[in-house]
Amino acid sequence: MEENRGGHGLTEGRILSIWMISFVALVLLPSVFRVSLGISHFYVKILIKILEWATLQIEEGVKQQKAMALENLISTGIIQRDETPMEEEVVGRCQGCFSLADVMYFSKKGCEAVAEDEVTRRFSSEELLSWNLLSRTNANLHHVSWKLAAVWVTGILIRYCLLLPFRICLSVFSILLLVLATTVVGQIPNGRENKPQRGSICVANHTSPLDVLILASDGCYSLVGQVHGGLMGLIQKSCMQTSQHVLFERSEMKDRHLVRKKIREHIADKAKLPILIFPEGTCINNTSVMMFKKGSFEVGGTIHPVAIKYDPRFGDAFWNSTKHSMMTYAFNVITSWAIVCNVWYLPPMVKEEEEDAVHFADRVKAVIAARAGMSVLPWDGGLKRKKVKETFKEEQQKKYCQIVIENGSVGNGNVC
Amino acid sequence: TGGVPRVPAPVTSVLSLAVTSEQIEHLHRRFKQLSQDQLTIRKENFDSIPDLEFNPIRGKIVHAFFDKRNLRQESDGLADEINFEDFLTIMSYFRPIEMNMDEEQLDRFRKEKLKFLFHMYDSDHDGKITLQEYRNVVEELLSGNPHLEKESARSIADGAMMEAASICVGQMGPDQVYEGITFEDFLKMWQGIDIETKMHVRFLNVDTIAHCY
Repeated sequence: MEENRGGHGLTEGRILSIWMISFVALVLLPSVFRVSLGISHFYVKILIKILEWATLQIEEGVKQQKAMALENLISTGIIQRDETPMEEEVVGRCQGCFSLADVMYFSKKGCEAVAEDEVTRRFSSEELLSWNLLSRTNANLHHVSWKLAAVWVTGILIRYCLLLPFRICLSVFSILLLVLATTVVGQIPNGRENKPQRGSICVANHTSPLDVLILASDGCYSLVGQVHGGLMGLIQKSCMQTSQHVLFERSEMKDRHLVRKKIREHIADKAKLPILIFPEGTCINNTSVMMFKKGSFEVGGTIHPVAIKYDPRFGDAFWNSTKHSMMTYAFNVITSWAIVCNVWYLPPMVKEEEEDAVHFADRVKAVIAARAGMSVLPWDGGLKRKKVKETFKEEQQKKYCQIVIENGSVGNGNVC
Repeated sequence: TGGVPRVPAPVTSVLSLAVTSEQIEHLHRRFKQLSQDQLTIRKENFDSIPDLEFNPIRGKIVHAFFDKRNLRQESDGLADEINFEDFLTIMSYFRPIEMNMDEEQLDRFRKEKLKFLFHMYDSDHDGKITLQEYRNVVEELLSGNPHLEKESARSIADGAMMEAASICVGQMGPDQVYEGITFEDFLKMWQGIDIETKMHVRFLNVDTIAHCY
């Protein structure tokens, strides 16, 4: 009996040691020394093959193909908006008079807005064209065929029983390491060169806190960001030890001026690291780029735009902070297949003489969106949490007025 | 997400034409988004639509969603909250015309849409659009222009009412008072305006889900 138990203990010990050794050899050491063993590439290739197979299965099961319509659906939404401008529709009959039918135009626009609007679409996860075998996306497709269901179940097992513990291990270890190491390294000045040069500003579109990790793995930056509590706060505090970061509270007005001042000082000093800013101000779901806040573009200096695009097939990187907490988000990310991301470093841009900050911001935004294949929206990401400003509302009314009133002079109340 | 409950069967009878179950599911998702996962929507939930803020007659549009006459209910007045079936009922006023409609269907189709607009004008629910109500609508539409005085908006509305009176009642004697536009008069005024093809929200038609990369 005792021998058995002893034997058990020995095999357990052996499994554990094999696990630890492979962990260190295959993951830790290569990442510390920035060597790639090609394991992740291989994994991603296999995943793509499996997902393609799954898509074919779904097609066979459902027996119809409306590929183009579906593509349209995903990119433009569920309704086909009537793009006739107000002038054409309202003026149609006669200039300078009011018509009953004008009410029809506005009520139609209103109904379209209720059915769907461009802005709130950006604050929920992107809809996928096909199912990527994660349990939480898309329609209930796993009963299409038994083969697909089998793969799905295997997928769950793999993700939760194999990938999850491995990744938890890794993250616990890295966080510990980070906290310990930063207290030591904080004393040593950092001297590495990186793609955005010192004394410049690096600007990127924002989808999740992972953006920071991804950029940081390829170079060092000073960060500007919203103060967080909890686990995120711990990580932030540790990072503060090594280099100067600027943290602020989004709702504090005076914080904004302080931030701008600090940024200005930071880039003036050529020895300091480039500062990484996300001008959208909040996480967007990676299908479009929203309004860039002009603050960071007023400061002067060279701007290095960076475009970040996540491949949605493997996992959803978007953090909906109004819906999920950090831990829920982290759990979702860790149990996805993978996070695959494309990063493009774009040539540096400078504000021109007669250009104002807003125009410059739009220019940079267009460049980033073009590179990453995302649409451009003029809306403010702050709409995630706040309402539309009154001034914008009045713009539309003014426009309509002008059509009906005909440049300030009223017709004699003609009705057509 | 997997947690979207199946839409109950009776709902499909409300929109017997032209809206597939796919589209109903999409609308249901939109409903959940607006209601923040509750079963009903209240007026406040419409505040979260930025696009709607731009609309000058936003108030009337939101009002229309809660108007019991539009919801085909027996009683009068405003509902406090609406469920998904009511939401679909209102959205169905904006469904597009179909190819295979006959005369009678077309007529009914047109009347329904006009009734919706009529209710938007007739804010006190008395079945008539009075001069004051007409003025209200014109003012709301034009209220953004700082150069426009109230008087101008009024004169537009007054002119419009006179025109309506002449169409509907013919020449009036000096003592006659035009009470207001009834629904029949309203129908007359819209003759010649192509409401069937203009007042709709076109849904994209998608039947299935298959796609290949």
